[in-house]
Amino acid sequence: MYRRLLASLLRWTLRLDVGINRVYPADFNPLYYTGGLSNLFLTILILSGLFLFFYYVPSYNEAYTTVQYISERVPYGQIIRGIHRYSADGFVIVILLHFFRNWFTERFRFSRDEPWISGMMLLVFAGFIGVTGYVLVWDQRAELLVVMTGNALAAVPAVGGWLRNLLFGGPGLTNLLLPRMLFLHVGPAVLLYVLLWWHYVRLRHPKVWPPAVWTLFSLGVVLLLSGLIPAASQPQASPTTPPRALAVDWLFLLPYVSLKYLTPLWLIVLATVIIVYGLYIPYQLPETRAEMGLRESGIAQVIDANCTGCELCYYDCPYNAIVMAPSPHPGVTKAAQARKLLAIVLESRCVECGICIGACPFEALELPHFLEQDVEAKVLAACRS
Amino acid sequence: MPELGSPPAPRSRSAPAPDVLARAAGPGAAARRPKIVGFLCDWAVSAEGIVREDGTMRDLPNVTLIKVPCSGFIRPSWLEFALKNGADGTFVCGCPLGDCFNRLGNNLIQDRVAQMRRRLERQKIQPDRVGTIYYGLHEQEQFVAAVREFSDRVAQLPAAPPPPARRPGGASPAQSAGRLPGEGADGAPSGPTPAPEES
Repeated sequence: MYRRLLASLLRWTLRLDVGINRVYPADFNPLYYTGGLSNLFLTILILSGLFLFFYYVPSYNEAYTTVQYISERVPYGQIIRGIHRYSADGFVIVILLHFFRNWFTERFRFSRDEPWISGMMLLVFAGFIGVTGYVLVWDQRAELLVVMTGNALAAVPAVGGWLRNLLFGGPGLTNLLLPRMLFLHVGPAVLLYVLLWWHYVRLRHPKVWPPAVWTLFSLGVVLLLSGLIPAASQPQASPTTPPRALAVDWLFLLPYVSLKYLTPLWLIVLATVIIVYGLYIPYQLPETRAEMGLRESGIAQVIDANCTGCELCYYDCPYNAIVMAPSPHPGVTKAAQARKLLAIVLESRCVECGICIGACPFEALELPHFLEQDVEAKVLAACRS
Repeated sequence: MPELGSPPAPRSRSAPAPDVLARAAGPGAAARRPKIVGFLCDWAVSAEGIVREDGTMRDLPNVTLIKVPCSGFIRPSWLEFALKNGADGTFVCGCPLGDCFNRLGNNLIQDRVAQMRRRLERQKIQPDRVGTIYYGLHEQEQFVAAVREFSDRVAQLPAAPPPPARRPGGASPAQSAGRLPGEGADGAPSGPTPAPEES
């Protein structure tokens, strides 16, 4: 059932790709660069956020007025605020695209679960940072968000009140609230880069940046939006007139909208289930190659006698599964005798793709169950038939 | 390449085709269509329905597909091996560029084949006998069309046997040297055409 669903989703994803490739050359298909695009938006967010940070004062009296001050008095402040606002939307859109695309194309297979797990954490933290950003403005929506979050957390049995106090610094609206929100906006943004390191650590040559065309296009769209639809606050929050209706942002505040239909406890249970399921996705499908109908090529093996330590496989392995170690002894062949380094395959990272075999000009690597002579025998059979 | 290939191809294949081709590229080339060996990535075009049990393609019996774990797995020397053992053309099919399941395999093979084509040129093998195509899982029709086009393009090439295949024996220079004086007397002007086949 799940496999059939995934197969049809894959079919639609690829069909979309084919359609887009008809318009753009494949090198510029934006769907091939969702990761790079999210990196681009994250960079825009960090830079514009630094600008906003210089003006922002995290206190009840001044938070709203400093934000208004940025919008009205600071030169280009409105534009920069708009850039921060709309690139956040862009960020969430492209990371969701990245998420679904890699899900449907099963790019979490074999030893690729680490990018998946770190990516799920990046997704959760990105959403969290978005919500704290909405609180920082301290308009009526911000106040409502705090109240709703507090109520939802308080609904958790046993530890609910404690969780709320942990997040907000005490029951109700305490003076610690906005400084905490500021920290929880900026701190996790730094954490995103730590998680990105984890996201990239097993990838050789990750595509961290989109092509220049898409960089300029995204920048242009964000600039245009911030000029045409200025980012604005709601009326200022005041404890005496609590707001009744939530101004909805469908990208970041979807969980709060669902509170209209769910009790807070159910929402928290649902969110937990979704996140845990997201972390479980790479382990859900059968992992063995036989079950997937794929050949068992076996983990790539280095042929010690032939390895010259040239590092070509090391540069080409897409998963950083090959490391170069100081060679303990010279190789056997003439080219390998003066080697300083020896390639070593880390078995836990190898996905048996064989790219290192294609990289090696010295026949020093092989897939144990799909050797060069097997290929050559097939070629000969094909030529004779 | 078409301007090089198209004029001689139909004539040479219609009149002296059977024996010239048979001598040129072994028994496989005796058929009217060129013998093509294709390497197909497991994650690229699905082979279901387009490949017979023996690996030849249903619509193009002259094309044999060999499945490999990733297009990056292919050593360019295997393509050369195929050409020197009687194949008229070989190609690699990977996922669409930028969308390799193993992230970089198709970009790598693209670069490697590009380098290899320059190498082939120096060996007097037409580089157009080697090709790369990129199609995703469900693009079977387009894939078959691309293979057909590749096959037709190879068929257009002058049916020259790869000279380096005979080079290790050292027979070709001696033969031509021995033959030249004999032919030099009267057969020299008619000589230009046999050069490719007889070397």
